[in-house]
Amino acid sequence: MSPSKDLGSFLAHAVVLEDEAATRYRELADAMAVHNNPDVEALFCKMAEYSDMHRAEAIEHAEQHAGGLPDLKPWEFEWPGDESPESGRLESTHYLMTPFHALQLALEAEEGAFAFYNEIATRTNDPPIRKLAEEFAAEEKQHVEALKKWIAQYPEPPENWDDDLDPPVPVD
Amino acid sequence: MNSAVEKQIRILGHKDFKSDYKPVWCAGCGDFGVLNALTKAMAALELEPENVAMIAGIGCSSRIPAYTTVYGFHGVHGRALPLAAGLAVSRPELTVIATGGDGDGFSIGGNHFLHACRRNVNMTYLVMDNSVYGMTKGQASPTTECDWTGSKLSPQGTHQPPLQPLELALAARAPFIARAFSNSPNELARIMTEAIEFEGFAFVQILSPCITFRPEQLGWKKRVHEGFEPTDDRAAAFAALSDDDGFTTGILYRAPRPAFRPDQRDRVDIETIEKHFEVRS
Amino acid sequence: MPSDSLSLALIGSGGAGVMTAGQTLLDAAATSGYYGLMTRATGPQIRGGEAAAILRLSTRPVECQDDRLDLLVALDWNKAERFADELILDDDSLVIADPGQGEIPDWIHDSGARLEEVPFDALTKEVRGARANSIAVGLVGELIGLEATNVEATVQRILQNKGAKLIDAALASLKLGQVAAGDLSVPARLAAEPEQDEPRWLITGNEAAGLGAVRGGVRFCAAYPITPSTEIQEWLAAHLPEFGGCLVQAEDELASINMCLGASFGGTPAMTATSGPGFSLMVEALGLATQAEIPVVVVDVMRGGPSTGIPTRSEQADLDIAVHGAHGDAPRLVLAPNSIGDCVTTTQWAVHLAEALQTPAVVLSDQRLGQARAAIAPPPSCDWKAQRKLAKADLNDYRRFADAEDGVSPMALPGTAGGEYTATGLSHMESARPSASGMDHKRQLDKRRRKFEQFDFGQNWADIDGDGEVVVLTWGSTTQPAREAVARMRALGQEIRLVSIRLLSPLKVDALDEALTACQRLLIVEQSHGGQFHRYLRSHIELPASTHLLASPGPLNIGPGDIVAAIEKLTHEEAA
Repeated sequence: MSPSKDLGSFLAHAVVLEDEAATRYRELADAMAVHNNPDVEALFCKMAEYSDMHRAEAIEHAEQHAGGLPDLKPWEFEWPGDESPESGRLESTHYLMTPFHALQLALEAEEGAFAFYNEIATRTNDPPIRKLAEEFAAEEKQHVEALKKWIAQYPEPPENWDDDLDPPVPVD
Repeated sequence: MNSAVEKQIRILGHKDFKSDYKPVWCAGCGDFGVLNALTKAMAALELEPENVAMIAGIGCSSRIPAYTTVYGFHGVHGRALPLAAGLAVSRPELTVIATGGDGDGFSIGGNHFLHACRRNVNMTYLVMDNSVYGMTKGQASPTTECDWTGSKLSPQGTHQPPLQPLELALAARAPFIARAFSNSPNELARIMTEAIEFEGFAFVQILSPCITFRPEQLGWKKRVHEGFEPTDDRAAAFAALSDDDGFTTGILYRAPRPAFRPDQRDRVDIETIEKHFEVRS
Repeated sequence: MPSDSLSLALIGSGGAGVMTAGQTLLDAAATSGYYGLMTRATGPQIRGGEAAAILRLSTRPVECQDDRLDLLVALDWNKAERFADELILDDDSLVIADPGQGEIPDWIHDSGARLEEVPFDALTKEVRGARANSIAVGLVGELIGLEATNVEATVQRILQNKGAKLIDAALASLKLGQVAAGDLSVPARLAAEPEQDEPRWLITGNEAAGLGAVRGGVRFCAAYPITPSTEIQEWLAAHLPEFGGCLVQAEDELASINMCLGASFGGTPAMTATSGPGFSLMVEALGLATQAEIPVVVVDVMRGGPSTGIPTRSEQADLDIAVHGAHGDAPRLVLAPNSIGDCVTTTQWAVHLAEALQTPAVVLSDQRLGQARAAIAPPPSCDWKAQRKLAKADLNDYRRFADAEDGVSPMALPGTAGGEYTATGLSHMESARPSASGMDHKRQLDKRRRKFEQFDFGQNWADIDGDGEVVVLTWGSTTQPAREAVARMRALGQEIRLVSIRLLSPLKVDALDEALTACQRLLIVEQSHGGQFHRYLRSHIELPASTHLLASPGPLNIGPGDIVAAIEKLTHEEAA
């Protein structure tokens, strides 16, 4: 069930997109807590809170939709890539990552969300879907711009930022 | 948050399967994707946490049971499969999922893997394969390439061809064999769901990159490709494996056969049994 | 001359059927109300090897062989010298051999035993289908005074599925033997049958251990075949399904014990059976069972070691590994049955204890008990059941390893909502969460030790008999010859105390001290080369100044005569 053809499906995508974004940010925050990287942990927590807010907004929209939402399995969502587009990429993380990297990761995620809604707005023949997709795309665009400004406050870290001064230790 | 939407979209319930323990895994580890997919699969199947048991051995990936809210058993190195078999045979109503890594499953636990394939107890076996021992600081595992020189234990490489888990599973008569990629959690969740629902021993090799000791595995994202088409024909499955570059994903083989079932007999009471020992003039 | 105990052996090779003959005689004697024991000695071949069935029949309970034989029947002499150490003959013994089977070996001649001839092989030609082993049964039964109708009924029962022709031939063979007996005189016949107010049980120690497990509530077994424990596995494979349980044949002992742990984690009382080499492989998982507090029972039917050792013969040399075989501080239950009947009771008790204390229990049986078949009084029935302290449904803030006063915290089983936890071999907190903190580590070590300190094990920790100042202290299968040795000494007027320890770990130190009160001379008896039992006791208690050790390795069993000699020696040393 395509999000560009069915409003219920579109709304389900919108809710899950934010839900998974929040989940991923929390995972990343936990990982940073484990690695004693509190600055980035705090940043990811903040991103998770933003996603929670957007999730709540998406749910409000969804609840106004009389037709109900389809019960899609995780793999039945039509995402452009391997997972929902606003989920921070696992492979972009590193235990020594700086706020600069974390914001880059978030920027990539928000750009993904913008592209997702923008694509639907362009492609859909369904006016209510287009209206919402345009609205959501605009919001994501704002997030992108905000993140860009935010990133500008952080200097790009030196090239050797990921030097392992304390090499890995044996655990088990 | 308990809105109508939460009920309609079942996968939103996947957080119910996540415990509040923070994983000890390195940031960027593929196992996060596996945990994510697993919780989604359990939510999609609407399992009750108390009726699921995750059984693991030793290694990074073997820590996964405690990161979920289901029952777990984090046993000793290499023995997840027999632990899981004992539980699954004696409590067939439970959903039993054995998990672990390539060292745990194919090296120290290799013999159990072969016989678990043959025995076909109804359970799922998820192996997070990163071709390295993570918790002991990065030694070669059975699936490591022979020319990998990244370990102090084998500084000139292993001089051994890597083991092929799917070929092994097929040869040992596992009835369900699949491969998936940790960083495609939705597709992984689909394959897990099929594996869990399969009546019998279902084996899934999950390519799960190690960011710390094999950072080059981040490139796997570009190498994995879908390609296996489920078949119940062993010859076709072997043929598919002969063309496999190690990165083909999907369900390779699905050939249901009766799952392991212990002997059944009419019930007898202990006195009747004891009578067999008795003699009288 | 009537005797209250007769010892005899049948030897033969190449499928001559001496084991079947021996069992027929034992079963027939049991039917008549006698007690008895049959042990076996065999060559290394799977089929056609030389074999000896050694029997003792008695009007009173016996569970060990005598020091000598009254009667030896040889169907042939092929490689019979293998048994020369074990088949002790003297001037009072009678040897019956087939003159057609070649030279009588020197060791027989040298023994001084009287020789008689019966042409077993030639006799088989007289009736179509007759067999030498059945002729021997008829002969021996007649010679020692077993009631012929009971012998015939036993043969019919054993052959009931073999068809009328075979049964007729066997009965005719018995007759040939009975007739052949007519001309012979034996040194002793069995005294009149004992008054029988209860039936006899015919059972092996291995069957008894299986029965004890089922009585205790074991419903799952995973096992890997290994001599001499395989019969426990076979018995459980046949009978567990009758109680809704099952046996899984595992790929190795690592798998079998882990399967048991998996089943027990799910709430099903579980047991495995093995012998030394398999036990060595299980040690790792026993440590896990201790740490994760999963009950499990392992019956180790001991054989000669180390390594492959002597698979078909007994030794009591697994005590060290049973008690201490684990890395880390891992106290566990170790129990030892001291008779074939006690294999039922002690295994049942082990199941009860393991479940009650949520910890592994090792039962140290041995080949001498496990593979011997005995005619015994029915073992007492007892109430020990698997009763695990469980966490009930809808738990809040459940902590699997809560620091309970008695050390035993309620266990949640899969299926119990709110009890979800991850059992682990890692050191952990009360919540089961892994922890490397010294405080958590010690708290859980203390908790696990407390189980053993606070549990009331009752009087069953040992069998104590008599109150002399000379004490024989032993465990497991050597208790039987010790019992007989003590009886012989008492018959000579010397009061001897016998202490046989059933609960080896935790050792009930205070109770043992009390049992040794006023002990002047102590004789420790064990079937091990290194004196493992002696060393173990010394590590726990102050033994009397006059302590002596009778320790010898397998494969020859310590007999009552060896123990009598050791008691006499220490008595004389004291006098000198």
